[in-house]
Amino acid sequence: MHLQLADVRKSFGDNSVLRGVSFDVGPGEVVALVGENGAGKSTLTRVISGAHQPDSGRLLIDGTPTVLKDPQAAMAQGIEVIYQEFQQNLFPHLSVAENMYVLDRERVFGRLFVSKQRMAAEAGRALRRLGMEIDVHRQVSELSVAERQMLEIAKAMTHELRLIILDEPTAALDEQESEQLFAQVNRLREAGVSVIYISHRLDEVFALSDRVVVLRDGRVTLDAPTGQLTPAQVVTAMVGDAVDDFYPKERNARDEVVLEVRGGNGARFHDIDLQVRAGEVVGIGGVVGCGRSDLLRALFGLQPLAGSVLVGGSAVRVASVEDAIGSRIAYLSPDRQAEGLCMSQSVEANVSLASLRAFSSAGGVVRRAKERAATGAVISDLRVRAASPSIAVSSLSGGNQQKALFAKWVMTRPRVLLMDEPTRGVDVGAKTEIYRIINQLTADGVAVLLVSSDLPELVAMSDRVVVMREGRLVAELTGDGLDEQSILKHALVGAA
Amino acid sequence: MTSKLKTVAGRLRAVWMLLLVGVVLSVTSPVFLTPTNLLNVALATSVAALLAAGQTYVIILAEIDLSVGSALGFSAVVTALTLGTYGLVPALAAGLATGAAIGLINGLLVTRTRMPSFIATLATMSVFAGLTLHITSGNPIPVTDYDFQGIGQARFAGVPVPVWIMLVAFGVFGFVLARTRFGRYVYATGDNVEAARLSGIRVHRVKILAFVISGVLASLAGFIITARLSTAQPTAGAGLELDAIAAVIIGGTSLAGGRGTLLGTLVGALVLGVIDNGMNLLDVSPFLQDVVKGLVILLAVFLDRNVDVLRRLLPRRAAETPARTPELAQHI
Repeated sequence: MHLQLADVRKSFGDNSVLRGVSFDVGPGEVVALVGENGAGKSTLTRVISGAHQPDSGRLLIDGTPTVLKDPQAAMAQGIEVIYQEFQQNLFPHLSVAENMYVLDRERVFGRLFVSKQRMAAEAGRALRRLGMEIDVHRQVSELSVAERQMLEIAKAMTHELRLIILDEPTAALDEQESEQLFAQVNRLREAGVSVIYISHRLDEVFALSDRVVVLRDGRVTLDAPTGQLTPAQVVTAMVGDAVDDFYPKERNARDEVVLEVRGGNGARFHDIDLQVRAGEVVGIGGVVGCGRSDLLRALFGLQPLAGSVLVGGSAVRVASVEDAIGSRIAYLSPDRQAEGLCMSQSVEANVSLASLRAFSSAGGVVRRAKERAATGAVISDLRVRAASPSIAVSSLSGGNQQKALFAKWVMTRPRVLLMDEPTRGVDVGAKTEIYRIINQLTADGVAVLLVSSDLPELVAMSDRVVVMREGRLVAELTGDGLDEQSILKHALVGAA
Repeated sequence: MTSKLKTVAGRLRAVWMLLLVGVVLSVTSPVFLTPTNLLNVALATSVAALLAAGQTYVIILAEIDLSVGSALGFSAVVTALTLGTYGLVPALAAGLATGAAIGLINGLLVTRTRMPSFIATLATMSVFAGLTLHITSGNPIPVTDYDFQGIGQARFAGVPVPVWIMLVAFGVFGFVLARTRFGRYVYATGDNVEAARLSGIRVHRVKILAFVISGVLASLAGFIITARLSTAQPTAGAGLELDAIAAVIIGGTSLAGGRGTLLGTLVGALVLGVIDNGMNLLDVSPFLQDVVKGLVILLAVFLDRNVDVLRRLLPRRAAETPARTPELAQHI
């Protein structure tokens, strides 16, 4: 499909989200659409998929001005959207095969009753054609996020697919699963399908796309072939002014060991010996499922842990979250929505939640003035941008929500901070601010264990990286030996 | 402007309803606005309001307690039986302990067996209603203790004692919910139980304690009914759990958890009380009263979910809304 957008505008009330967007996507072309959260990517997606009508401007399909009055009209044109992990269009209690054909009016398997065998056979054939290995009889709720995404693509391809929009498709995938997805995107390109690929991850954008379109404040600020661009140019177009210190890493490690794990064993990690010094950031590399997230959860009392844990030289118990917090260990969950914040509570209530004891009388009455002063200080220190501390935390942008989550743990004055994917789903500008927060914490002597699937981030922000594979520490990388290739090599060797 | 209006509408919604019903009744009935009648409304509301206060804690935690009516009946019977043999103070203690114990059972079922509270308390509702009938063989137990009768029948400073009990209970539990650490934990746990647990909150304890509060307030309400009637009726609490839940919902507490106030619940209970009273004053058939009550609940929940609709019905002040093109206006 050749899709052209000409001066597309869209406002919601006083809020102009798209202020004249124009660009083209050719057949078999992969266009990476990048921009910070709030730049207008989602709205643009909805316009192209017929969910929103533009206020003005035109949409041309193969040269013909077209009005997509609803998502059905877009689908009839062969336009499909694969949304982020949490808003998938699948029926969790139906099988893979049923999901592929449940809304399909063209293919009928049997006149009166649906023949599940014929449906399964057809689904199996379709998946094999795409090089996907998913058992068609499995229930969708049992599939991994990556498998569900594959299924969505396969489902889209059961119709005549001409343009597909992938919205942050790798947000929840590990390296291997991402590779599979990239292979799929390449297959789509070869089949002449147009692809709009939305991502925060520049390495993917450069590896995959033919052209990069950057959106900022509802306008296109960059539109050029990928081969002619550098990541710095893209970042500049996204955030407006040159960001020279994208990773403002400060080295604050001291000699004193704050966290020590000796012979740590858990369900999915084995014989872990690890030391983290005051002010040091120790990164843990490895593929998703290698046990690194489990290790962090176990250190925070969320999973059983055998072996000894020492904080500041003395052995501590981490049998429960209260134990861990009592030993001044803090844990930043990778899933801010499910495990991090109480979304309808105020920013202030979220920030003080883990440290309320410090602001309450012996009888358990919260001292509001003290609370307000302390949370206010941390909120401004970490630059959490909220109209007021009493508004619901759900009204903040993703980056500010993440900063609020940091603020909650900073309030507990931790000696050890365990972070799992601290910048997931956060836009580029806020990422840099989060790195600055990590610097502040290490300057105060906090020992940090950092898990991240964003390899450039892991390399840049860690003083030292240990690599885990199948539950064991297999390498330690420092100084010149610390780079993305080495991490990947150690993380993957032996796996395939 | 939009968000401000939303908050005001949200906070005051139940109050508006109360005012609306109040205005209608003061126009249609000469008796309604008399002090005697208003005290009657408060008196009649006190029992359901106490149940609703406990229910508010439970519902903010995204749970529900269907057993409060049964807990009221069972503890009332225990109180009356103890009163005959051991006297006033042991009887009150036994009653409150019974309510607390039923709450503890509910709390343990919900937290330890991970049973949905709807199922767990549906079961305990049935169990304690049945036990009450079994113990009493279905017969009412007369109460002759003069002091005990005072709980329901005496006045203090011209106001019936049950109204004082209601006000003090709302004051105390409202303060606990709004100003204490435990109250914060209730909101946080109801909003996102995992986030609360990962913040070091013992979420099981919070839930158990909320069910215990609900049980204790049910036994307090049981004292009032028993004292007013001078009899412990085995079926005294039947159906009251629904009035309690209705009051909580009308008061703006979200069944999804994490939101709600005790003041809202008090106003919600008063809305129901005033409607009951008004329909009696206007001689509406008692059969129709439940219909009206149901419609009020629907209206309250409808307004809760459709603040936008409400906003559209309100006149806009020109100064605050500059002229817009018709195209833009569609999205407002």
